[in-house]
Parts: sequence; structure tokens; C-alpha cells
Amino acid sequence: MIIRRISGILSNFTNLSRVYAILVIIVVLAGIAGIPSLDYKGDRLYPKTIDRNSPLDPYDRGGIPFESTGILAEYPGNSPYLGYITAYLTPLSLALASATPHMGTTIVAHPGGIIDEILYATRGLDTVVETTILFVGFAVAAYLFRRREDE
Amino acid sequence: MFDLNIEGAELFALPFGDIVPYFSIYSATLAAFVLIFILISAFDHPERQLNIIFGGDAYYEKEIKEDDTRFSRFMAIACGFATLGAVLTGDIFNFTLFAVLVGITNIAIVASAGNRHVLNAAFQYGIVAMIATVPLFGAAAIILATTGTLSIWTLAGMGAVPLLAKALLILGVMGEGIAPLYIGKAEIIRAQGAPFVLMIHFSSLLLFLRVTEIVLVI
Repeated sequence: MIIRRISGILSNFTNLSRVYAILVIIVVLAGIAGIPSLDYKGDRLYPKTIDRNSPLDPYDRGGIPFESTGILAEYPGNSPYLGYITAYLTPLSLALASATPHMGTTIVAHPGGIIDEILYATRGLDTVVETTILFVGFAVAAYLFRRREDE
Repeated sequence: MFDLNIEGAELFALPFGDIVPYFSIYSATLAAFVLIFILISAFDHPERQLNIIFGGDAYYEKEIKEDDTRFSRFMAIACGFATLGAVLTGDIFNFTLFAVLVGITNIAIVASAGNRHVLNAAFQYGIVAMIATVPLFGAAAIILATTGTLSIWTLAGMGAVPLLAKALLILGVMGEGIAPLYIGKAEIIRAQGAPFVLMIHFSSLLLFLRVTEIVLVI
């Protein structure tokens, strides 16, 4: 009986990851075959333009600090102060940006810059949940490591 | 969105930037259950198991100190709040993030049992939960690329989301919510810290209910 064989395979939990991987492969292969039928929507909500000549490249968003910057939002009514601090630089980074052409690279090269990229797309809660996942991962690893010590 | 059959009437929506959490009758019911289970795992005492000695009428009670369950209690509460987020959020990418958070806290709850057999099951589940992030975030990426938005409000009733994205979303939630299968197989119910294992079943059940709602709505 085929049902008996299937339940025999599923009864060993080391097989479950294999079964799941096969399911993923089937769906992904079918998906690759179906990709030409998907149409890419260019006018998406979170656009990004890059000015290669700016010292803040690829970080330059334009706009004036504490005034509205041209950022799109899904519901503009929900965030009236959107983009107010997008263009803000501290005096030190302003001096660096005017002295060297590498300020944008410096910003993007550290984790805060990456988080800021996400914040730029007006989606603050994403950043919070992502770092929460990271911290929970650290908590689990620390717990397991310390428990092995006191045994 | 609230004219669709599955949602029911709108009760409350929180205008939180681009992510608008909402309570319809459906999600409010789910949220109420989540709150009840968060309270249960916050105030429950660990289960005391009895070991019976065969051949005699002696038995002894296993002693479980409060300190031993602190980690699993914390992770059960964290899992509850992650489930609450997944149930209430009005944004597909946030839903996938909360699903991943549920998965990782589930691993933590299982891993806090000291038994080697149980830890082995937790490791196997971790592999599946890790693979599952690919279809989950892949679904969110495909939805954003083909429709230009991630908001459930905007997508509701449009039917613009391709079947592939829906299939990947369901597959991803399947991977994150597969934990009860491992629990049943590894008999974690009988391991130490038993009441907190409840949260694993509960969170994956709610993830499935929520993803059903999302797939039917978008």
C-alpha cells in the first residue's frame, strides 16, 4: 500500500527535512517554468535612484533636512512627517562629505547603513522584527553554550 | 477588504506608517486566543512528572526547579508575541518576518529540553525552518515585484498575486509550522518543561489559519 509506505517514510523524523526539500524543489522548478508569465511592475512603491557624482553615492537621497523629501508611501496620510530627517547629516559627516568623495561608501559599509537603507523605504517595523530575530538567535546560542559549560 | 467573506467586519485598524495592523472579526478572534495562551505560558507552573517504579508500588516526583524553566517560559512568551504580530499585521513581508520569528522561538523552546534525542529533533527542525525562509521571503519578493506593493489592504480582492507566490508562501509557512510533527515524533511532550511545548502547537496552528486568510484575501 502506498499510504503505508508514505507514513513509513514520515515516521522517521530525520526524513522530514528531505521530504520538505523535495517539496520546495518541485514548487521552485514549476516556478522557474512559470517565470516568463510573470510581469515585472516597474512603478513600484519604493523606488531608488543613484547619483554617481554625489559624494554620498550610493546613499544620497536628496532633499532638505527637516523638510519633506520626495519619498513615496503606501498611505501618505499615515506618516505626515515622512522624510523629514532623511537628508540630515551630523556636522562631522557633513564636513567629511564635503572633503572626500567616499562618505556614502563609508555609511553603506557598516550595519547601521544597511538598517538605514531599510528605514529609508519607510518600513520601520521591518527593522525592529529583523533585529529581534537576530537577538533571539543570539539568546538561543548563548543559552545552549552556557548550559554545556555547567554540566 | 472587509467586504470579503473570510474577514468579517472591520473592528479596528492602527495607522502605523506603511504597515497597518488590523482587527477584523477573524483576526480579532485569533488575537484573543493568542493573548489567552500568552497568559497561560506566563503564569503556568511547570508540569511535575511522576516516575513509577515497576515491580513495586513506589513512585517519585521529578523535581523541576523554577530556574530550569525560565528560558523556555521566556521563549514561549516571545513565541506568543511573535504569533500575535503575525496574526495582526497588514503587510506580507512583516508576516513572513513574524513567521520566521515564530520558527526560531519554537527551536528555542524545543532546545531547552536537555535530552539528546530531543535536541536531535530540534536540530532537524532547525534545518527545515532554515530552508523555509527561502520560499517565505521569495514569496514576498515575487509579490513586491509583480504588484509593486506588499500591503494586504491594497492587494485585497485584486487577484493580482501570481499563483507561484501563494504556493511559496504556503510552503514557507509549512516549513516554519512543521514543529508539531517533530514534537509528536520525538515525544517532547513527556520531556521537562512540558507546558511550554503547548505554545509550539498553538503558534503553528495560528500561522496556518492566518496564511489561509492571507492567501484567500490577496
